[in-house]
Amino acid sequence: MHRRLLALGFAATLALPVLAQQAPVPAWQQSRSGSTNASPLAPHPPKLTATAAEQVPVAALRVPAGFKVELWASGAPGARMMTESPNGTVFVGTRTIGRVYAISEEGGQRRVRTIASRLTDPNGVALRDGNLYVIAINRVLRFDGIEGRLDAPGTPTDLTAAFGLPTETHHGWKFAAFGPDGRLYMNIGVPCNICEFNRDTHALIVSFNPDDSGRRIEAKGIRNSVGFDWHPTTRELWATNNGRDWAGNDTPDDTLHRIRQSGADQGFPYCAANWRDPAISRGPASCSEFSAPAALLGPHTAALGMRFYTGTAFPEAYRNQIFIARRGSWNREQLSGYDVVVARLDANGTVTGVEPFMTGLRDEAKNRFLGRPVDVLVRGDGSLLVSDEQNGAIYRITHGN
Amino acid sequence: MAHRLPAAAALLAAVALASAGAAAGDAGRGAALAEARGCGGCHGPQGVSAMENIPSLAGHPDEFIALQLILFREGLRDVPPMTQLAQGLTDQEVEDLAAFYAGLPAGHVERPPRDPARYQAGAVLAERLRCGACHLADFRGRAQMPRLTGQREDYLAHALAEYRDGTRRGTDTNMNAVMFGVTDAEIAALAHFMAQQ
Ligand code: HEC
Ligand code: HEC
Repeated sequence: MHRRLLALGFAATLALPVLAQQAPVPAWQQSRSGSTNASPLAPHPPKLTATAAEQVPVAALRVPAGFKVELWASGAPGARMMTESPNGTVFVGTRTIGRVYAISEEGGQRRVRTIASRLTDPNGVALRDGNLYVIAINRVLRFDGIEGRLDAPGTPTDLTAAFGLPTETHHGWKFAAFGPDGRLYMNIGVPCNICEFNRDTHALIVSFNPDDSGRRIEAKGIRNSVGFDWHPTTRELWATNNGRDWAGNDTPDDTLHRIRQSGADQGFPYCAANWRDPAISRGPASCSEFSAPAALLGPHTAALGMRFYTGTAFPEAYRNQIFIARRGSWNREQLSGYDVVVARLDANGTVTGVEPFMTGLRDEAKNRFLGRPVDVLVRGDGSLLVSDEQNGAIYRITHGN
Repeated sequence: MAHRLPAAAALLAAVALASAGAAAGDAGRGAALAEARGCGGCHGPQGVSAMENIPSLAGHPDEFIALQLILFREGLRDVPPMTQLAQGLTDQEVEDLAAFYAGLPAGHVERPPRDPARYQAGAVLAERLRCGACHLADFRGRAQMPRLTGQREDYLAHALAEYRDGTRRGTDTNMNAVMFGVTDAEIAALAHFMAQQ
């Protein structure tokens, strides 16, 4: 399936006209120079075997006073993005292991089923009218009436050709969700670390009618947004974004974006976190013509899944605030992230601060990590789920007794 | 990689430990399972392969072995005979096999004699493409990145061509990017250089 796509993707989208005859610089090497040339930093290995429940580091987790965190489900290797059905079944996408899980409650226990496999990075999962949409790399599948067919999901309807997504593997995995307007939203990441590219085909958030027609650009110049949600009252789209690698330990920050108008330009590749990236010599001299980020989320933290808190089970102070999962850095000597933070918004929707909410997975002293939070999900009962990709586990956070 | 800075070396020690996911495999159980499943018939009883195009498994990082076995089992690295052979392996068995092979000494049954010109060409390429940044300066591998020394030359060339041609994609796409546009002659030189380490 993915044969040759990567190479074609690089050739088609990365090579600038003058470089057309040469091999492009591999993504991992782009913009490396000087001291970073000798840096041994590399992405951390995934873990694709199940972590036994008693090995999941739930005892290390810390949440604010009054909250409680427990292990909700385990045995779902690579668990990433989540969506919940009205019945309370949680569907979970993955990347490297190629599976989609359905986790349901049965007699006070969680049952994990693998409902799809052999897919390339099926990260995006979204539900509408009882149908589950799974977005893998360059693949869109729809499982109709999924809730009643968990044991035998059957052959999905293949919508790939209709959606016509770009084929690159690099940053090609999707976050997907239905918006309040009933449209299906997803990111289209940039197929490089830092490069010039077609700004109308990549570094976007796009939306489609559920029948795949009417593609619309919702946000532009957003390097790779693997998490977004809509403000519960203003219905504005808010999105996290991953900054690029190899610009130093503290540059640039990952960011939170408030998309005030459909299609608003967030500045990549010229600007990231209000910083004019010197790797791109063409383009505007300053960042003033782009939307400024709503908040900075820390360098290389890998801010991914985010949701507004819409429940009533947490104290009133959390209502309409944003929970954000930070999967944690690899391109930084001292690890950063590996937690869930909460972005505080005032009545105007201005971010007044970003505070830790769930910590304990990063061991500061030993500079190592115990788990990697990728997504947060507010359940119908107001509890908050947090997926931990490294441990194939999902935590549940509640308030009070 | 002679220019590696002491600071980078110190950092490496920290980086290598970054994931606290302790290896859960049992090498003794892995040895028994490898015996029962006949893995040694192809990969060699001690994980050092004497067969053309069949990789040596001895001395790879346990994480690499475990990840590849999962990719085979899940049909994501779809190559006969391994995809079939990995069916039915439990996660625990995968970790046991990984622990067994990771603990065996790497080596060669036999290898082609050194060709000074190809060796030199391979050394220059390895420096230019910075294989050591990921596989470590002595190419012994770490975590998801396999050992390159002690590997069969024919298998190295086969694997590198697969990454270049996009017919193998691993747990990430780094190797596809590294190999973009590398010629057959350059692959032969890289494989020769690595197998001579
Ligand atoms: C019939 C021969 C055969 C048997 C038996 C066999 N293998 Fe393999 N194995 C292969 C071949 C061939 C490959 C290389 C596939 C390719 O071309 O990429 C391979 C690749 C592998 C790899 C990937 C190594 C790398 O460097 O990429 C692992 C791990 C592995 N085998 C483990 C096992 C285990 C464990 C067993 C026993 C359960 C086993 N094999 C049994 C033929 C065999
Ligand atoms: C950016 C990091 C990176 C760099 C640089 C890199 N590699 Fe790799 N290499 C990897 C990773 C990760 C894998 C495992 C991929 C997989 O899962 O298939 C790998 C796998 C391999 C394999 C497969 C071995 C086996 O046993 O199956 C070979 C051969 C290899 N690399 C050789 C090289 C050579 C030669 C170079 C330099 C030209 C190089 N690599 C540079 C990260 C890197």
